[in-house]
Amino acid sequence: MSMMLHRRSVLSGGLAALSLATLGGGSALAQAARLRMLWWGSQERADRTNKAIAAYKEVKPDLTIDGEFAGWSDYWPRLATQVAGRNAPDLIQMDYRYIFEYARRGAIAPLDDHLGKGLQIEDFGQMNIDSGRVDGKLYGINLGVNSSAVFFDAAAWEKSGATPPAMGQTWEEFAENATKMSENKPKPGYFATADSSGLEPSFENWLRQNKKSLYTPDGGLGYEPKDAADWFTMWSKMREAGACVPADVQALDQLNIETNPLTMGKAATAFAHSNQFVGYQALNKAKLSVTSYPKISKDAPSGHYLKPSMLMSVASGSQGIEAAVGFINFLVADPKGIDILGVERGVPASASMRDQLTPKLDEVSQSMVKFIADITPEVGDLPPAPPPGAGELAFVLTRTSQEVAFGKLTPAEGGERLVKEAETVLKRK
Amino acid sequence: MAFRSDTLVEESRAAALPRKGAMRRIFDRNIHAYVFLLPWLIGFFGLTLGPALASLYLSFTNYDLLQSPDWVGAANYVRIATADPKFAASMKVTFLYVLLSVPLKLAFALLIAMAFNRGIKGLTLYRAIFYLPSLLGSSVAIAVLWRQLFASDGLVNMALWQLFGYEGPSWISNPNYSLYTLVILSIWQFGSPMIIFLAGLRQIPADMYEAAEIDGASKQRQFFRITLPLLTPVIFFNAVIQTIEAFKAFTPAFIISEGTGGPINSTLFYTLYLYQEAFGFFRMGYASALAWVLVVIISLFTAFSFLSARYWVHYDD
Repeated sequence: MSMMLHRRSVLSGGLAALSLATLGGGSALAQAARLRMLWWGSQERADRTNKAIAAYKEVKPDLTIDGEFAGWSDYWPRLATQVAGRNAPDLIQMDYRYIFEYARRGAIAPLDDHLGKGLQIEDFGQMNIDSGRVDGKLYGINLGVNSSAVFFDAAAWEKSGATPPAMGQTWEEFAENATKMSENKPKPGYFATADSSGLEPSFENWLRQNKKSLYTPDGGLGYEPKDAADWFTMWSKMREAGACVPADVQALDQLNIETNPLTMGKAATAFAHSNQFVGYQALNKAKLSVTSYPKISKDAPSGHYLKPSMLMSVASGSQGIEAAVGFINFLVADPKGIDILGVERGVPASASMRDQLTPKLDEVSQSMVKFIADITPEVGDLPPAPPPGAGELAFVLTRTSQEVAFGKLTPAEGGERLVKEAETVLKRK
Repeated sequence: MAFRSDTLVEESRAAALPRKGAMRRIFDRNIHAYVFLLPWLIGFFGLTLGPALASLYLSFTNYDLLQSPDWVGAANYVRIATADPKFAASMKVTFLYVLLSVPLKLAFALLIAMAFNRGIKGLTLYRAIFYLPSLLGSSVAIAVLWRQLFASDGLVNMALWQLFGYEGPSWISNPNYSLYTLVILSIWQFGSPMIIFLAGLRQIPADMYEAAEIDGASKQRQFFRITLPLLTPVIFFNAVIQTIEAFKAFTPAFIISEGTGGPINSTLFYTLYLYQEAFGFFRMGYASALAWVLVVIISLFTAFSFLSARYWVHYDD
């Protein structure tokens, strides 16, 4: 008994020492030539990104990049935890809504010093460079230009004898057509459109058409209870008419491509971001079309703006900022990287890259590039920076829209509730 | 238990005596204990006590994960008590879940255990099969499966349509039903209380039932007069453990609602709310305070259970 114990404890102690040694050695080596990259997105994006990483291995054979990805809603908790644990990935895919929080808290590094050296992004145009600036410093590199967009299965609409969504259509016409479409639905449980009342980009687009905004430049709320109430009312009418999916079907949408009612075969129309067109088409058997949002009236502004679909940032604690910047440059300003990523993250911000890429694209991607070109004459300015707490407000909008959709609140009460809760959240930080 | 391990130590010491010195003997005797304890000690200090104390400190700060924390006194606790509607909402969901899932799960576990206790053939196999859900229990895969089962065109609705011609709602995404699908998930994982009940039932002397049978007591009377009273210590144990487990439930709600606690906060378990505050909205300080409130609530519940135990738990000796 005694002898056995001895042997075992010696053995396990030895093993522990051995594994500690290897761990230590491994990480010391890793710092020089190993970067970690974290992004959110679908499988399609992961495939393209991993391919780009592999291609960069040929450019820089001694640099290894380990990619990790997550769905949108898992992404932010994971990133925050890693940053808090001083274990942040070197390359961080960033969103316009969060870049201010991360930059102002010092979690990501300003990259101005690399401009014109490791970063060759002069031909991005001032707006596309500035969209990655926080308080005047460059914290994120535009990975692609996009805008909110409407995707639809034109064949399904036409089969029902209804006019599909098109540029310049009003919300009124859209609702009318959608009701007609749903009345002649090709199969039970199928509707003309997803319910977009809880989707922040959709609400924002509608607010901008009304010359309002989500936030004011000083970090306050850019709309009033009445605005939100009108928005909820419009959707409630469509819901009652059977034009959009019922509340419990919409609630299955986890705000990603995979669970959107369009992909799930529940609706013929989805509200999304233009860059996601590639991902949506990859998951949908039916051929999809892309167009702009319906408008509140024929002469209202389009509500669209061109925004960075996502940005690439570098962790301030990274041991290899230079190497990371090199890889970012490969993704946004090198034809090899650009050709692999295509337009899945949006249209390249660089004019020369866009021009050399477009002829090589397939039909799906080309229609997306065309969409961006089509709406460009009508786009408005980039909205003011989202204040801290903006991340939480997207949840508040979704929940309030559900309370209206499930009939727990009237649209008017929903408007009041949304503004009240939003103001509480904004005051808290 | 204590007695047995003492004898073992005594034996090993006796065996080692002829060859070793006194100091070595004492060292030898204790080192074994510490080597055995080591994994637990490392785990306890490194992974439980350390983080717990850190979170106690953080609960008095405004820590936001990215910047170093500033002391804010009791502000977080004051907010929980006075100005947080989501705290109240998540409490309601959690208590409803605990009060529904624990009794139902225990009743179900007892029912199955009694069925098994009647000496059926192939008991070991059945026991293993019925225990299986508990092994898979808190896994992500099961939560995903649940989503598929209870979605609008899931298996449950397909069955309802085929059998009764009833067109069911999307149970999992309807705020009126979503919590109950999680209660069902919890009941389905009745394995571990069942095994404990089964062991408890085996302990009840068969001659008691024989005597009752001779005296003409019905099966029902035997259950209420013999089985239940003699099983109370086991019921008590299961109830305490399952209650604590239920308060801590997280994974199913997290997966099923994609971390939102939706629809309309209907699955916003307390732990999920805490997680949202900490990792979703960068309020680690506030989340730490929420965590300590949960500790106090679970402690109160457990203390109450132990105090009440003297009135209803029946110990033989």
